[in-house]
Formats: sequence, C-alpha cells, structure tokens
Amino acid sequence: MKLVIGYLYPDLMNIYGDTGNIIALKKRAEWRGIEVEIKNISIGDRLKPRDADIFFFGGGQDMAQGLVASDLVKSDKGKMIRQEIERGVPLLSICGGYQLLGDYYGPHEGSKLPGVGLFPAYTIASYDRMIGNIVVESEFGKLVGFENHSGKTHLKKGAHALGKVLQGFGNNGEDALEGCIYNATRYKKRRDEIASDYKNAIGTYMHGSLLPKNPKLADWLLQKALAIKYGKEIQLKPLDDALEEKARQAAIAKFC
Amino acid sequence: MILGKGVHFLTRTLNIGGGSAAPGYYALKIDPDLVVHLASQIPCTIIITGTNGKTTTARMLAQFAKESGLKVIRNHTGSNLERGIASALLSHFPLLTSHLPDLAIWELDEAAFNKVIPKLKPDMIVFLNAFRDQLDRYGEVDSVVKKWCQTLKVVDPKTSIFINGDDHNLLALKDCFKGSVQTFGLESNKITGERATMQNKTHKLDFEARNIKLNGLTGSSFLLQTTNYKLQTTLPVPGIYHVYNFLAAYILAKKLDISDEYILNSLKTFQPAFGRVEKFDFGYIFLIKNPTGATQVLQTLAPELKSNDRLLLALNDNLADGTDVSWIWDIDFEQCKVQPFGFAQGESAKCKVFVSGTRAEDMALRLKYADIDPKQIAIENNLERAFEEARIGLKGRLFILPTYTALLELQRLLTKRGLKKHYWKEAT
Repeated sequence: MKLVIGYLYPDLMNIYGDTGNIIALKKRAEWRGIEVEIKNISIGDRLKPRDADIFFFGGGQDMAQGLVASDLVKSDKGKMIRQEIERGVPLLSICGGYQLLGDYYGPHEGSKLPGVGLFPAYTIASYDRMIGNIVVESEFGKLVGFENHSGKTHLKKGAHALGKVLQGFGNNGEDALEGCIYNATRYKKRRDEIASDYKNAIGTYMHGSLLPKNPKLADWLLQKALAIKYGKEIQLKPLDDALEEKARQAAIAKFC
Repeated sequence: MILGKGVHFLTRTLNIGGGSAAPGYYALKIDPDLVVHLASQIPCTIIITGTNGKTTTARMLAQFAKESGLKVIRNHTGSNLERGIASALLSHFPLLTSHLPDLAIWELDEAAFNKVIPKLKPDMIVFLNAFRDQLDRYGEVDSVVKKWCQTLKVVDPKTSIFINGDDHNLLALKDCFKGSVQTFGLESNKITGERATMQNKTHKLDFEARNIKLNGLTGSSFLLQTTNYKLQTTLPVPGIYHVYNFLAAYILAKKLDISDEYILNSLKTFQPAFGRVEKFDFGYIFLIKNPTGATQVLQTLAPELKSNDRLLLALNDNLADGTDVSWIWDIDFEQCKVQPFGFAQGESAKCKVFVSGTRAEDMALRLKYADIDPKQIAIENNLERAFEEARIGLKGRLFILPTYTALLELQRLLTKRGLKKHYWKEAT
C-alpha cells in the first residue's frame, strides 16, 4: 500500500512547526508498512484529481498568505482541492490554511479576500492576538496544541466545530468552539453527491505540532485516506503509543 | 545613578541574580533618559542585532578591541534589553570622565532594537540574521524585518551598516537605509535563512569566507576575501554559524582600525560565551533557541558523536524560551543521519539520550519521530536529576542542549557543584 501526502505550499506555509504533522503522518504510515510519498504543491504547480491521497495545509506569515490566496484562485487549485474533498479525500489545515479554505477573510482595511469556500466559515481580522496552549474536547478525545492567531473565525449555520474549547481561545475566543469538520452532505447538498456522510476535511488553529501528540486524529486521517484510495475499510495495525499518550497527558495536565 | 549602583551591589551580594538587569530596571523607572545621558558620552557605539549569534559576536569584538588597547563597555551577560544596557552603564560607568570607555558594544534583541536605536545613535550596526524565533514573543520574521526597515529609515546616513548578505530576508534592508551598506557571507555552506522564494541572483559580498574547512568540535579554517586583500583565518569555535559571527566581529574591528595581528592573536584564546559551545570536564553545552540554530548545532555535533557519548536535551516553555514548543518539529533531526539518530550504516544507535525540562515529553516524542528508539530515551523533567543520571557511568562525553531558561538553571547547578564560576564573575 502506498499513500501520497499532498503538502500544500510547504515553502510558504510552514512557519509554526506544522511540518511535524507531515512527519507524524509519514512515520505512522511507515511503521505499518505503508509506503509514503510527500508531494509538494506550491505556487505555479498544477494539481490533478488523484494526485494526493491526503492534503495538509499549514500556517504561514501574512505576506505569504496573500500570495497563496491568489494562487489558489488563479491556478484553480482551490477548486481542485474542493473537488477532491467532496470525493472524500481527507485534509488537515491549520491556522492560515484553515482561514484560506473558508468563505473569506476580512482584513482591517480593504476588501474581503475570497477563500476557497470549503469550510462554511469566515474569518475577520482582529486586534487581539490569541496566543497560548489550547485543549479541546472532540470526537477524537481531548486534543492539545498551541494557538497563535489574530483572525477570528466564525462558523456559519450548520457547520460542525472540531470541538469545544476547554482551555484557550479557539476559533474566535467568544463561542468556545474550535476548528471545523467539513460535512459534505449537510453543508451543500448536490444533486449527484454520494449520500454517505463524509466528514474528512478538518480546519483548526492548533499548532503544537498537532498530530504527534494527538495520534488518534493522525490515524483517522490515514484510515480515511486508505478507505478512499482502495475503496474499502482498512484496519490500521495498532502501534505502541505510550510516549504519545504520555506527552498528551502531560500537556493536558499542565494547561487544563 | 548612585541608586542604580546600590541595587546592583545588593542583587549581587544577596546572590539573587547576576545583577545584569535589575539595577537597570529600577534606574529606568526613576530616570527614563538614563541610557541617553550616559551612552552619549561614549565616543563610539556599536549595535549587534539578529536572532542568533549576538552574544558570541559581541564577545569576539570586545576581545579584539581589548587586545588593541581599547576600553570597552558592553551588556555582556546575554541581558540584551534596554534595562540590560542601563545596568551595564550603571555598573561600569566611571565617576570620572577621564576614565570613559572608548567603545560601547550593545547586543539588542529583535524588538529592543527598534526601541533603543533612536536613543543610542550608533556609529555602526550589524545585522546577523533573521530567523523565526519565539513567534509568541517576537512575531513573524517578515514583520521583524519590516520594523527594522522602518527604524533604519531614520538612522543617520553616516552610520556604517553591515548586513549578512546570505540571509535573503536581510538584503531587503539595503533599500531602507540612505547611506551605504556592506555585506558579508560565505562562498559555500551558506545559511540562507527563512525566505522561501529563493532569489536567483547571487549577491556580491564585500567580505567573504572561502575554502571553508570544518574541523569537528575544534573549529574551522577559511580564507577571508575582502575587496582588496586576503587573510587566512583559523577559528577556535566549531560550526558554520560561528564563521558568520566571526565575519561580523572582524568587519566591525576593521572599521575600528584594529590590525589583523591583534585580531588573529586574540582569536587564539577566544572562549565562547555562556553556554554557547561551552566546554566542561564532562562535555559541552550548546544553547538551542530556535529551529535554525538548533539544526546548526546538530549538524556540528552529529558527526562527532561516539557511541559512549550521551545527549541531554532540556526543553523548557517559560516566557524566555517561548511558550510554544512547536519549533522543535522544525529542527532537522532527520537530516543528521548519524548516531545517535539511528541511521549509522545499519548499526542501531547506542548513544543514550536524556530529555528534561518542563516539556521533556514533547522532546522525547520529537526524537521518537526522528527514529530514535524510545527505549533509548530517558525522560526526567527535573534538570538537576537528569544531569546527575546522565553522568552516572558516563564513559564518553555528555552533550547538553538546553533552551534559554534551562541553560540558566544549568549554570546554577554547575556553580553549586563547583563546576563553573558565577557567570557574572567570568572575565569579560
């Protein structure tokens, strides 16, 4: 078995240690005998259907984010990502990546920056910097990470949050919600859409890196990727996650 | 000023700190213009800023200057905020103007630079690099450089500005300054910094290190090429990053008209600063603060590690370390394909690794994902106990890689055991 991880804009969107998520996905697949290829997709590159089995999209600096936003639209990569997500390809996007996949970003001045329109959410610039450790209750158990953002993201009606904030700010520091799980059928019912309830794209503000300390979420992404690629449920071999669990518990105990 | 001197004496006598920032803190509360009053009386002021290498560069330059007979004042204990400068001025400023220092060397961190520059009116400024560092404190690299640019716009055009020409982010500063700028860098093994979109144009350097030979932990040698002469140099501190620090110190020294003879002479006895490749009986201490610096340290260290050596990585998440530990995932452990990182030509890693600090578990996990067998990793949050355990049965050398506050803690431990002097008692 083989998985291709599509790393979106790794040269521009990688400033907050998010590469750890790629490392975690790669290692956790390889430890189970699954071959992994990392495909970097950046400005000027083309993206075709089935190019990647999982997408990862990290956070970047403000200037880089502007370049990426316009490339997503100009190169049609945004559209292609959406199309692949509708097919069930899993995606993890963090901070800037999460914002760019929403409806739009409203800066302090000037017009709205249109997003890819995957997540039913929009982000408004604020003057508060939301920095610190964050713990979230989710369907993957307690997730722990670190957030550092000033954009406030609001979920639209019918959107699913990734979880409830136990410690930290989350999407906007106001509604105690963090992140978003895209829900294909409930958000945009399309005529010929598969009826199944795919929820495979995740947006979140959690750096940390997120996946190494939250291996359940990492495995969920891998499992979804295998299921879509090979057309059947594939059970992942269990790993010894004692150290992962120790690090996760230590962080939760420290911050929550 | 008398009051500041009093606080300085008290903190040192009561042993509640090196006395490196507290007197300045109180003095600034009483007289906010203190820095300006005192600093403006010193004939020459040099500013060193950047993410990595400030302390080593300042220390080298101070040594060159002293060798040539100049009287130097500097904020030398890594206390590089405004109050560190005020404290240095208070404790070393003579009461007689006839004893004034000839030269002030101030290291300023990314943020303090913009605040202090307009007050200090320096004669020379050197920009070492701009790497991502403690994003929760300093912000993103782009915004750091942008603020430097704004500050430079109002600096006197007669000021001598020197820039690391290999760091793509810094090159943009050339256009922010009305006067002329000189650059330094390396012919090969360049550390190009954070800018993702590489510029194709190779930039012509005014000072360039060529034919660089790295000699393990003992140092390096290279040919220094300037626009009109060459100088063969042997550096007694290891790693590519120290070549950059030396170039910066050298250029400043030349601008001060210090002869090569003094420079090369004093280099022979150069001792790195406070936890920067510091050598002890048991091994070495290498401070790690950010991904680029830590990767550089590992690249220097990895080929030198032997199977009976040990590693102790101490990761804290206090304010001065950065509260976000995500950066450890950007350290390129994967690239160091040698022991103890588990890749040594089919041989499984033998070198034992200890992790400590407030976020020891995170560091252990990072190592696991760099293919180090978790069975080889001992976790002990308490640094004192970790340090003791790591030395039990130690046959080789112990390499300690602490973050900033872990380094301070180590200094106290080593002092307590008589393995090290109080850092403020060290000769400057």
